[in-house]
Amino acid sequence: MNYFKQLKTVAFWEYQRFYKLKNELIGIAVLIIMGLVGGSVGAGIQSYAEAEKDITITITDQESPELKKALSEKFTVDIIDASQQDDFIEKIKQERKGLLLCSDGDIFMLHAYKEPRPINDIQNVLDTYRQNLAIKEKGISTEQLDYVLEPAEFEKEYYREEEAQYRTVAAYVFVVLMIMAVFSSFAYQFTGITGEKQLKVTEMIVSAIKPKVWMDGKIVGITLTGLSSMLSYLVIAILGGIVIFILANISAASVLKYIHLPSIILFFLFTIMGILMWNAFMAAIASIITDPNNSGKSSIMFIPVAFVLNSFFVISYPESNLATFFSWFPLTSPSTMPILWSITDIALWQLAGSFIVLTATFYLLRTLAAKIFRVSILISGNEPSWGEVFRLAWRA
Amino acid sequence: MKEILKVDQLNKRFKNIHAVSDISFSVQQGDIFAFLGPNGAGKTTMLRILLDIIKADKGKVNWNINGNNHTLPDSSQIGYLPEERGLYTDVPIIRSLIYMASIRGMEKQEAKEAAMEWLGKVQLADRAKEKLQALSKGNQQKIQFISSIIHKPSFAILDEPFAGLDPVTQESFIEFIHELNKQGTTILLCSHQMQLVERIAGKVFLINKGEEIYNGFLNDIYSIFGDRLIIDIGFSEEIPDNKINSITGIEKIEKQNNRNIQVTFKANVNISEIMNKLSGIPGISHIKSHNPTLHDVFLALVKKEQNING
Repeated sequence: MNYFKQLKTVAFWEYQRFYKLKNELIGIAVLIIMGLVGGSVGAGIQSYAEAEKDITITITDQESPELKKALSEKFTVDIIDASQQDDFIEKIKQERKGLLLCSDGDIFMLHAYKEPRPINDIQNVLDTYRQNLAIKEKGISTEQLDYVLEPAEFEKEYYREEEAQYRTVAAYVFVVLMIMAVFSSFAYQFTGITGEKQLKVTEMIVSAIKPKVWMDGKIVGITLTGLSSMLSYLVIAILGGIVIFILANISAASVLKYIHLPSIILFFLFTIMGILMWNAFMAAIASIITDPNNSGKSSIMFIPVAFVLNSFFVISYPESNLATFFSWFPLTSPSTMPILWSITDIALWQLAGSFIVLTATFYLLRTLAAKIFRVSILISGNEPSWGEVFRLAWRA
Repeated sequence: MKEILKVDQLNKRFKNIHAVSDISFSVQQGDIFAFLGPNGAGKTTMLRILLDIIKADKGKVNWNINGNNHTLPDSSQIGYLPEERGLYTDVPIIRSLIYMASIRGMEKQEAKEAAMEWLGKVQLADRAKEKLQALSKGNQQKIQFISSIIHKPSFAILDEPFAGLDPVTQESFIEFIHELNKQGTTILLCSHQMQLVERIAGKVFLINKGEEIYNGFLNDIYSIFGDRLIIDIGFSEEIPDNKINSITGIEKIEKQNNRNIQVTFKANVNISEIMNKLSGIPGISHIKSHNPTLHDVFLALVKKEQNING
């Protein structure tokens, strides 16, 4: 039986085992519901916070009308007789509510049971009030003040192509999608391989196909699963975006400028090869693990987090030597190179070179994964050490 | 008959254990060839080497199926039931079976038909769409068996096919193996359950601690044991050891429990004299004589081997 037929059979099997459109849609629906619930709760909190800001500030009749006017612009103001001040403070303590603002020259004193939510708003009103008093005292006119506070004229001329900034947005979208694809693949690869070892299916299968074909089939099948999840979320995001654009009355032209076909092709190539490479990496690790609940090696599978973190570094320091290194280093290049291409000038040979290195790394990792898998298949007792695994893999 | 598998001087060591030591044998087309030995004798290691799952340190394996000489034949020609059973428990049975057949080169439709045919034979056709985990252990074993031979292989390797089965299912498996063999599949089976194997195998290979003890026809093996007489004796009261020991011609006495013993007599003893002696012993509830079983022969051969090796 030829290699490609077996590869197709295994890849399709793995894909069908793990990719369940129904579950995917349920997951997306749960996310949307959680988003709506989160949004509603957020709106509720916001409106509660706004209501809390709608407070009444009490002042005595000895305060200036200007202060009353300034406070009235933002709050409800009550005025009491100055002789009632002490009684009012006592009432605040007893009833645990009410705010009393008193002034002594330039100093203001707020009496309250606890710090009120709009304390910063009160501070802002008092700042403005004091500034206005000071302007009056110094005899400064409004024009003079405007002149003093006027910002410096600062014109900017950037020579980067305008469309490059739109590519950055697309790069972010693809990095986020890739992270989702890698992490969902991680879960499937881990449960798939360790599960088969625990179910003892392995020996039956390797008597029928070469471990290399089986491993390749798994990597391809689970990569397809990850890509399918990625596409499901992309479609939902696009549909959601369309709804938002229609509601916000944004023209189609302003949206289309984010869609740059060469960028999309580049991102897809790097994303697909990146997911394949990470899947090969994770398959190799999962092959060693005999008991996922008690293995110290499970944590190694979280290494992909590293590439997420380096993406943020590259966005902050795109011109640095480290960013250039990340764009070539195969474990980081799938996410870094597309971002770097979006925000800096990258020559075509650099893109091609980085992609070739990435592809070669995938090939090597996939070969190593198959070798490790071959020697680890029948290990069901003590988990082998790294040294044992590599020694056996070297001999295989 | 055509030689379909030839194994020559195979050796395999695991650290300090010599799991397979200078093993040679051959299997002819149409044979039911039994590889017998106790647990840990090296049977499974041997099979894994034949299937290229593990590599031998030394020696040669030559397959010759359908006129093609290979070190390992195409997987479509081989069926394998491993000792370590396992299938996808969370997938419908029919899908698992089609997958197993597909990776061995069968077309999907053909695999589906073969799966349904075998499920019918084991009376599980109505449960084809259920998940494996819904079946009893015995029925799961049947599915495992089907998955190893569904693609109609020329050669099937069955490692401990009777392990964990109840007597009724064991009988069914003996029938399945006979049927498979009648359909043209050469069978190599490994087992430590010798009383079942001697009912189906034509040739046997006895192995102990990785070494060959016997390799040949099953019928011939009994002649090695000689014309020994074996008598099972049951007592209604305590076994009178001194009276039993006084009978002449005894080779060995095996105490099976407090009331039953098995006595093996040397070849050419006088049976009527023995029966006379036994009739004088009080408390005997039953007596049954029989030929030596494969189990008896195996033990005798192991003992002989140990004596030779000092």
